[in-house]
Amino acid sequence: MRIAAFLPELLRHLFKKPNTVDYPFKKLEVPKDFRGTPYLQPELCIVCKACERDCPAEAIEITSVSEAEKRFRMVIHNDRCIHCAQCVDSCPTTPKAMAIDSLFELADFDRHRLKKEWVYVRAVLKPKPAAPKPDAQPEPAPKA
Amino acid sequence: MAALRTLLYILVYPGILFLFLYSTFCEWFDRKAYARLQNRMGPTHTGRFGLLQPIADFVKLMSKEDVVPNAADRGMFNVLPLVGLAVVSTAALLLPIWNFDLAAPSVTSFSGDIIVLLYLLSLPTLVMFLAAWSSTNLFSTVGGTRVLTMLFGYEVPLFLSVLSPAILANSWRLAEIAAFYQKKPLLILPNLIGFGVAVIAVQAKLERTPFDIPHAETEIVGGTLTEYSGKKLALFRLMLDIEVVVSSALLATVFLAGFPGGGLLGFVQLVLKTLFVIFLLSLIRALTSRIRIDQVVSFAWKVLAPLAVLQLLIVILLKGFLK
Amino acid sequence: MKFQIPIGPQHPALKEPISLRMTVEGEVIRDADIRLGYNHRGLEKLAEEKTWIQNIYLTERICGICSHSHATCFVQGVEKLMEVVPPKRGLYIRYLVAELERVHSHLLWLGVAGHEAGFDSFFMYTWRDREVVMDLLEMVSGNRVHYAINTLGGVRRDLDAGQKAKILEGVAVLRKRSEYYFRIGASEPSFVARIAGVGRLSKGQAESLCAVGPTARASGITRDVRKDDPCAVYDEMDFEVGTADSGDVLGRVVVRVKELLESYKIIEQIIRKLPEGPIAVRAPRKAKPGEAVSRYEAPRGENMHYIKSNGSEKPERLKVRAPTLANYPATIEMLRNGFIADIPLIFAAIDPCICCAERVVTLVDVRSGEEMAVRLSDLRRRAAGRGPNALPKRNAAWPL
Repeated sequence: MRIAAFLPELLRHLFKKPNTVDYPFKKLEVPKDFRGTPYLQPELCIVCKACERDCPAEAIEITSVSEAEKRFRMVIHNDRCIHCAQCVDSCPTTPKAMAIDSLFELADFDRHRLKKEWVYVRAVLKPKPAAPKPDAQPEPAPKA
Repeated sequence: MAALRTLLYILVYPGILFLFLYSTFCEWFDRKAYARLQNRMGPTHTGRFGLLQPIADFVKLMSKEDVVPNAADRGMFNVLPLVGLAVVSTAALLLPIWNFDLAAPSVTSFSGDIIVLLYLLSLPTLVMFLAAWSSTNLFSTVGGTRVLTMLFGYEVPLFLSVLSPAILANSWRLAEIAAFYQKKPLLILPNLIGFGVAVIAVQAKLERTPFDIPHAETEIVGGTLTEYSGKKLALFRLMLDIEVVVSSALLATVFLAGFPGGGLLGFVQLVLKTLFVIFLLSLIRALTSRIRIDQVVSFAWKVLAPLAVLQLLIVILLKGFLK
Repeated sequence: MKFQIPIGPQHPALKEPISLRMTVEGEVIRDADIRLGYNHRGLEKLAEEKTWIQNIYLTERICGICSHSHATCFVQGVEKLMEVVPPKRGLYIRYLVAELERVHSHLLWLGVAGHEAGFDSFFMYTWRDREVVMDLLEMVSGNRVHYAINTLGGVRRDLDAGQKAKILEGVAVLRKRSEYYFRIGASEPSFVARIAGVGRLSKGQAESLCAVGPTARASGITRDVRKDDPCAVYDEMDFEVGTADSGDVLGRVVVRVKELLESYKIIEQIIRKLPEGPIAVRAPRKAKPGEAVSRYEAPRGENMHYIKSNGSEKPERLKVRAPTLANYPATIEMLRNGFIADIPLIFAAIDPCICCAERVVTLVDVRSGEEMAVRLSDLRRRAAGRGPNALPKRNAAWPL
């Protein structure tokens, strides 16, 4: 047991730059696949409602605006969203209609201002499975 | 005219206003040094370099609601912060900051004022105990008993170690002790053991880690100050800050040859020497963890008191040798 | 003179609300009474209303620090029910995140133990190093807490070469720092004086009170789910179970630092041996009827999930037995005859994750103050009796 075993380490830190970041005056970058807020690319959506079914927080609401024109409205309730990106995984189109960006500074004074909505006509793209490969043919895709 | 001058001394320099500003500056320095030792930033944004942070904290506390518990003893509860503040400010008047005229003892510098200063510095501990007792809160009671138990530990080593340089300097007057060591700076060196003991004992008096047992946040919530809020808490914290300044100025006077040079030079020396002592206190605060109350008393009596007695012996032998 | 000190529900020593009523005499504790239920969120009932995929995210949010352990334990159980075997690469990535989470949790605990003892510099340093691990986890999974990397049948994200290199770099830095903390923790005199001999639990007591995790391992019991009941990944790795003999808080610090160093070894082995292949297989939406029990070594001890399925796409019953719940009786034993000053340390030494363990509520009659225990079958009957058609959540009006 040495007295003041910690002392050299402490004194060395006097001359180092502090480790804390001066947020919000300086911001750190987030990594590439950071899960921020979800958003829709309406021209790709085929309104299969898989994202609405799979969302754990019931944050996605898809309603029909007009049957004849096949117009739908999607509301993403960002105040309920838990940023899990399951909607992105469940989306069956290629490229995916639901995507997630890197925004995380969402704070607001009124939770109703956090809801985003899109009104769009259902796309006629053919859905291709982009989800994990089926059991029948396990092809080892070379992942670097 | 003399009355006006005295009033100016009491209120402005080195009275209340100077103490307020200087103690908040020392608190800023302490917090910044503590933070830099821990690789973080400390106060940064209030005022340049965060200098106004302690003043901002004081103003914030003054503006908050003051809650007095029902079961508390109202009279004592309300008056104790002011009593504490008065005691430490009076102690600050006795420091040889601006009175260095050795020939003319006055009411603020007289033979024996070192004893009066030490006595005035033990009164805040009693004030804290009474504050805890009059709060009638479970946690405050435990904190109050801990404050007094610690007093039994550190008071004797503090007295012995502070009085040793006084014995070497052959005087009980702070101004004369400082002047003695200014004339013979080499004699500061035999007092180093006493300096170490005094720094540790002052850390215990100021209730800082490793001795922050009376207000150990994770054990007894707030300890002695649990029930205080608003203005009373602001005044108590100011009292603790001024106690830091007074204790470190006392140590600088007795061990580091005071603040000679009068006027501006004396002020600069005051700042430098007290900041040096406060840096040592912050270093100890960052270095150790909190120890238990029984360990404090046993440490004080088994380690600090013998070292203080050793210092006293060294001083007595040196005095005999020098004669 | 005995009197009762309440620690909690609101106390700076506790990170979550729990009520510990200590009967003390002077500075010595004579008895302790633990009351739970302040953090009860009804998770087990909520899990019955959500599909298997949604439940992964729900179980993840049982706790913040051991989020991956609950999610993994759940997914392991459901994969057993659905008879789905995830591919090797998926399993490796899953347990890589598990070991990174163990590192993060132990570094957090070291800081918290330092803070409870008043050793704030240690707290700041360990949490600064924890940032390295959290940045690695953010890079791998997309979030610093609640990694959500599990899915039924594997994992959701893959690792590329750049990420693997960064993980190895980060682990090398952390290994140096952890060895330094080991030396400091064992040699800083004021810290050791606080934690040595405190909260003693002998081996026999630990066994009879069913302690789990580092609490048990510090009393000399070699029990670790990774060795006793290994799944595919852990029996291919070479590591040891850290134990200590002293049974006090210092022993638990030593065990956790040893586990940190072993976790670095495991992480490096996983990265080096990572096989090629797909990362997940497709899982069905409905599970076959049956029951499954899944065990997992969380940073705090053994985590157990019991899942019962009735063939539909929602579980019929989910029961969570978190490790902290198993350590509570041992805590009461440790608190007896200790000092008040040691309460936060003893309690922090079991690494309490109080929100994990909130499965019980004590019902107190408001008028008479009488406490009663109510059986689950009674609660179900009362809920069904409220209305024959309890509306599904989707049609209920959101309050805001």
